[in-house]
Amino acid sequence: MGAPVARIDGRLKVTGQARYPADTPLHNLAHAVMVTSTIARGRIRSLDTTAAAAVPGVLLVLTRDRAQGQLTAPKFGTGGSTSIQPLNEERIWHDGQMLAIVVAETQEAAQEAADLVAVTYDHDTPSAGFDTSGVEIVAGAGASPMYPEDPKAGDFDTAFKAAPVVLDATYNTAAQHHNPMELFSTTAEWNNGRLTVYEPSQFVAGWRAQLAKQLDMDAANIRVVSEYIGGAFGSKGPMTPRTAAVALAAKLVQRPVRCVCTRAQGYTTATFRAETRQRIRMGAGRDGKIRAFSHEGWELTSRPDDYVVGGTETTARLYAYGAVHTKVQLVKADRNTPGYMRSPPETPYVFGLECAMDEMAEKLGLDPVEFRRVNDTQADPVSGKRYTSRSLMRCYDEAAAAFGWQRRLDAGVWKTGAMRDGDWLVGLGCATAVYPTQVAPCAARVRLTADGKALVQTAAHEIGTGVRTVAAQTAAQALGLSVEDVTVEMGDSALPAGPVAGGSVSTASVCSAVLKACGGIRDKLYRAATINSGPPATPESFTLRDGMAVLDSGRSAPLSALFQKLGTTQLEDYAEFAPEGSAPGAVEQLRQGNPGIMGGAKGPVLMYAFGAEFVEVRVHARTGEIRVPRMVGAFAAGRIMNPRTARSQLLGGMIWGLGAALHEMTEIDPRRARTVNRDLQDYLVPVNADVEGVEVILVPETDTEVNPAGVKGLGELGNVGTSSAIASAIYHATGRRLRDIPMRLDKLLQLQQT
Amino acid sequence: MPDRSQSGTVNRRHFLAAVGGAAAGGAATLPSPGDAATALAAEAAEARDPRALHTVTLTVNGQDHRLSLDARASLLDTLRDRLGLTGTKKGCDHGQCGACTVLVDGRRELSCLRLAVMAQGHQVTTIEGLAPAPDTLHPMQQAFIDQDAFQCGYCTPGQILSAVACVKEGHAGDDDQIREYMSGNVCRCAAYPNIIAAIRQAKTEMEA
Repeated sequence: MGAPVARIDGRLKVTGQARYPADTPLHNLAHAVMVTSTIARGRIRSLDTTAAAAVPGVLLVLTRDRAQGQLTAPKFGTGGSTSIQPLNEERIWHDGQMLAIVVAETQEAAQEAADLVAVTYDHDTPSAGFDTSGVEIVAGAGASPMYPEDPKAGDFDTAFKAAPVVLDATYNTAAQHHNPMELFSTTAEWNNGRLTVYEPSQFVAGWRAQLAKQLDMDAANIRVVSEYIGGAFGSKGPMTPRTAAVALAAKLVQRPVRCVCTRAQGYTTATFRAETRQRIRMGAGRDGKIRAFSHEGWELTSRPDDYVVGGTETTARLYAYGAVHTKVQLVKADRNTPGYMRSPPETPYVFGLECAMDEMAEKLGLDPVEFRRVNDTQADPVSGKRYTSRSLMRCYDEAAAAFGWQRRLDAGVWKTGAMRDGDWLVGLGCATAVYPTQVAPCAARVRLTADGKALVQTAAHEIGTGVRTVAAQTAAQALGLSVEDVTVEMGDSALPAGPVAGGSVSTASVCSAVLKACGGIRDKLYRAATINSGPPATPESFTLRDGMAVLDSGRSAPLSALFQKLGTTQLEDYAEFAPEGSAPGAVEQLRQGNPGIMGGAKGPVLMYAFGAEFVEVRVHARTGEIRVPRMVGAFAAGRIMNPRTARSQLLGGMIWGLGAALHEMTEIDPRRARTVNRDLQDYLVPVNADVEGVEVILVPETDTEVNPAGVKGLGELGNVGTSSAIASAIYHATGRRLRDIPMRLDKLLQLQQT
Repeated sequence: MPDRSQSGTVNRRHFLAAVGGAAAGGAATLPSPGDAATALAAEAAEARDPRALHTVTLTVNGQDHRLSLDARASLLDTLRDRLGLTGTKKGCDHGQCGACTVLVDGRRELSCLRLAVMAQGHQVTTIEGLAPAPDTLHPMQQAFIDQDAFQCGYCTPGQILSAVACVKEGHAGDDDQIREYMSGNVCRCAAYPNIIAAIRQAKTEMEA
């Protein structure tokens, strides 16, 4: 553990042998294509499948008529992306809603037939979002079990009125789509009443439970396989209604069926990051201490489902504010239901807060780093609970030194436009990164054989984080083997239940379970080693190292000798790990589809990981083009299991932050509530040419309280704060405050004109 | 915005089918279809049935495969579904992401934008055929492992083939040039800095 080991699945990935779900070879496979709605609100008047069914090779056109009574609608919020099963609906709830699934002998025939399904509608006028009429606004508090109340402390109004320095600003964050490189797909195969689904999933245990309910089956007869996942970022966490529908299609045609969504369909048949609008009010004393903080958010959601972003859970606790007021409201429109996207609450809400921190630092004439230091805290201003560890200012200091923040201080900290380089206006900015440390129940089975090889099994998910590799490292260290001697099996609901690949829980949860199972094997080996071995040795002195069992100094034996003593060729241990404070039966609950995530602000102490990000921007004085030549991030996230994969995740996270800051936005037609830019040409994500220098610093931190592995998780830390650091740098370069992301050159040009 | 077809986009396969027999016309108007494709186009026009199958020989990773193909089948789908070469990935099917990059006569091409029937007479190399011998790796593959130049691995086969071509084209002169010439291959995990490092590493070996 802790070594920069190369990914154990690297060779499979660079040779094309890693099998993603849609790569699964199946005999007699039929191909399916989805048909989706071209309006956002209304009813289906007619759906004519005659021409489609007449295309040679078409096996089935699955519509509402054919599906009737066979699909139970999902439940939203328990692993389901929405409460709607579109194939049960006459109503159109959103643009691009699934209307039918065409199954044919070939992809070409299925596509041809899908284009021939003729649909007519009774149109209603849809509400597209925040500034269109007809939206419904409801309180966020209590709308979801994830967000029971708006955090509050003290008397905000009085403190704000009395504060000598105040800020009142509004920020907007755009709707975004995850756009993992791998398209969404479902492949379903039935065998004597047993169903196997191959689909990229972040939660195979939960999906099996979901499918059992939606198809009215015994979960024991369902298997969900997701061995490799081509990126997910939250989009493959909750199961979408297509999965059960494709399973039904396969049942009806009595053949395996594969349905690969188009890139465009991914925008409307899965989830997305909801757009938010935030109002922040902050009052401070001349000493720089914040006395009052209010964070109000409006978040887009769908008509049927109350998805809550709720980033105030984190922003309310980030600094020593004094009085705190927060309020979240949901704006319900005719859109598909949003969902989790990489650091779902923190990305938008910390953007607002950190922009406000920068603006407030300016009002106070303080170095923005020092403003954070003055308001740093080791306890939650809302509950008074302490942080288990918080290395925020250490991150600032290390990143500032590596970045050369002194350059800005030397140029006059609030002197904007001072660092010009020819036609390029240069600016430096910084912001805080923060993400809750969470952990979930997890089961694991470890088998050690007499030849010194180990097998680790757990239904966790390799979405690119490197969890397969760190699980191997963990078992290798605990059993005294080399990483090459450990095989890891993941991504199959037939394996011991694993956690959802969400909330950055995987490494902490999986490693805790693997350690526990390895401990079980160690105990058996210890007992074997102490049989007829002279004076008793303590379990503490017993270690496994380089294929040897070391009883204490002076006495050791090869593993094979202990196996011989035990009269077996293999030892196996199955272990269930449940986080401290979990309800009894947490692993059984996990099998039922309840992730059981603990940590963050939920427990008796606060568990969070922190970071500080510094960026340099260059803004072209004539065109407004914005470039980011350099980013430096320092992060403290407890124990780092593998610095190589950790660095890659943080690096990718920071580039995600860059994309959010400058590129990404899902455009919705305000009149028709339809998604306009639903492909990778018009939805901009960072490409290689957008990225220059990115530096990651791993700040050492030990935290034994968070979980047995001491891991805080960092898959979602890196992209928090980045876009506010970029906003701060743009202001420093140009003297113009941009409060909406993405920050594109048209916004700078607009500001230039006014 | 007017209502469009079901998916809201004009679809290649539907377009070809709808214009009736115009698989030929479609193919003939595409740039550099090659002699074999032109011959096929003429044959398809004669057949008049856009769904008629065409017998072609595809040369993939040095091996000939005789296949009966739908004229509308992309090279990408054919590699994956007919030849079982699933290392080539579908990321958009519209030539916007680079995940399906293969080498055609040594040049990088997007296999989703090439009809399979047009690949006859050309040498197609996929990720499965890049290594010089079984159980070995091409220097670019090794460099991607060494530099951790991927996370989920989905765009990786396309990145690697594109990177090999990038070096051979002489477009890996410096980091800026690599960035520019690798920008057709999107990596959503954003391993870009590591991809640059991998290309630098492999270039030295490839040119040695």
